[in-house]
Amino acid sequence: MGDRLVIRATPTGPADTVIVGAVVRASADPSEVARDEYRVLVHLDQLQSLIGYGDRVDRFAVATRDRAATGRAMAAINDAAFGFQAHRSRDIAVETSQTFLVVSRFHHAIGVITIVASAVFLLCIMLLKVDERRRDVAALRLMGISAATVLRSVVLEAAMVAVAGSALGVGLGAAISAAVNAHYRGVYRTPLAFSIVTPEVVGFSVALSLVLGVAAGFLAARRLTRVPPLALFGR
Amino acid sequence: MSDAPLAVSARDLRRDYAMGDAPVHALQGVSLDVAAGDYAAIVGPSGCGKSTLLNLLGAIDRPTAGSVRIQGKPVESLSDREATRFRLLHIGFVFQRFYLMPALSAAENVELPMAEAGLSRAQRRARARELLRYVGLEARADHRPTQLSGGEQQRVAIARALANRPALLLCDEPTGELDAHTGAEIIALFERLNAGGTTIVVVTHDEELAAAARRVVHVKDGRILSDTRVR
Ligand SMILES: Nc1ncnc2c1ncn2[C@@H]1O[C@H](COP(=O)(O)OP(=O)(O)OP(=O)(O)O)[C@@H](O)[C@H]1O
Ligand SMILES: [Mg+2]
Repeated sequence: MGDRLVIRATPTGPADTVIVGAVVRASADPSEVARDEYRVLVHLDQLQSLIGYGDRVDRFAVATRDRAATGRAMAAINDAAFGFQAHRSRDIAVETSQTFLVVSRFHHAIGVITIVASAVFLLCIMLLKVDERRRDVAALRLMGISAATVLRSVVLEAAMVAVAGSALGVGLGAAISAAVNAHYRGVYRTPLAFSIVTPEVVGFSVALSLVLGVAAGFLAARRLTRVPPLALFGR
Repeated sequence: MSDAPLAVSARDLRRDYAMGDAPVHALQGVSLDVAAGDYAAIVGPSGCGKSTLLNLLGAIDRPTAGSVRIQGKPVESLSDREATRFRLLHIGFVFQRFYLMPALSAAENVELPMAEAGLSRAQRRARARELLRYVGLEARADHRPTQLSGGEQQRVAIARALANRPALLLCDEPTGELDAHTGAEIIALFERLNAGGTTIVVVTHDEELAAAARRVVHVKDGRILSDTRVR
């Protein structure tokens, strides 16, 4: 602030000396991210003398009171101003967000594939782990521990593992998310959030892992408790 | 001993295992009475039907023919669920392997059958402590099975078998995984238990263990060959 700068529109064009009056932070606009350029705001008359143009307007925005006014204003502009095309701001937003939507869908697909694959993996591990203990389970049942007790304790254990696992996962997710944000905020010099862990995401993942864990535990345990203990005990 | 009430009574037990065209006749008419307070060893060559007999005496398995009464109660008619409950409350089992739950301490393993039977936490604690003291492992109550030797694990397993004060203690090769020295400790423990009134039936190849019993039952090819009272 207060520095004197000599600015030119082109390397050989007319120069002007200005004093820096304010430094404006980069706004949190996704479309500005990764555009590695500086913006200089100067007075209009100064700008005109620098670039040697007269009045020139590339775009202008019209604020309207309601939907109907928007429609009327669009029609009026499109009729009156040759070479201009009016668009609703929402249409432009949707248009410029297409890439983000595709990327977001892609992320969802990756998420679903990950969840399905890990659910299958979890079920297999669970079946193996419980099956490893089939002689223990058989011995317990021979000693008079009921199938219901065995089932209950396996399901309880599975639920506890699922809760511990999802707590670990949420913690890991939050840490990675923070690291991603810290990194890209530095790279792009923006306050934008690149990754967020919302309560919905946490709730969904905990609920999902609990349901999957309990289901896997139940299936694995029921496979054991259905067999007569003497047959499980083996020889 | 002859006028004592019967802990278990088996009549004409047969047990066939369906093995395709040639069923295995594992037991071919076995009758055996064990009085309360008795200590019987069942011996015989491998495959003669000892375990099969023990499983029937403990309401683990159902005979193809014949009947078993435990403390006067016929057990063939029990449903699976009833039989499980009956075993929990009336019979203690000790196996060759110890089958202690690895995640639980010695005391918690002993408490397991009591928890299933519905005892309060305080009752379970007190009884587990008493039992572990009885088998000489009071100091190891909080140890996990992996921190115990084989002989110690088997003593915990015996304490667990006694948890619900069973009328009958059934043991299948309880010294089978132990060396002679630790086996001798288990044998001494059984003698002490029997002297205190516990009825014991033990299946074994261990001559030392069989010699410690009051009575030795020889089984061969699914029949009782001899039944000798030793003391
Ligand atoms: N589940 C089963 N299916 C088929 N045959 C069986 C089964 N269980 C036992 N048998 C057969 O019944 C017979 C008696 O078996 P059992 O296990 O009672 O013998 P055991 O005297 O305990 O032998 P060991 O001293 O080796 O333990 C054997 O011929 C065995 O092969
Ligand atoms: Mg056997």
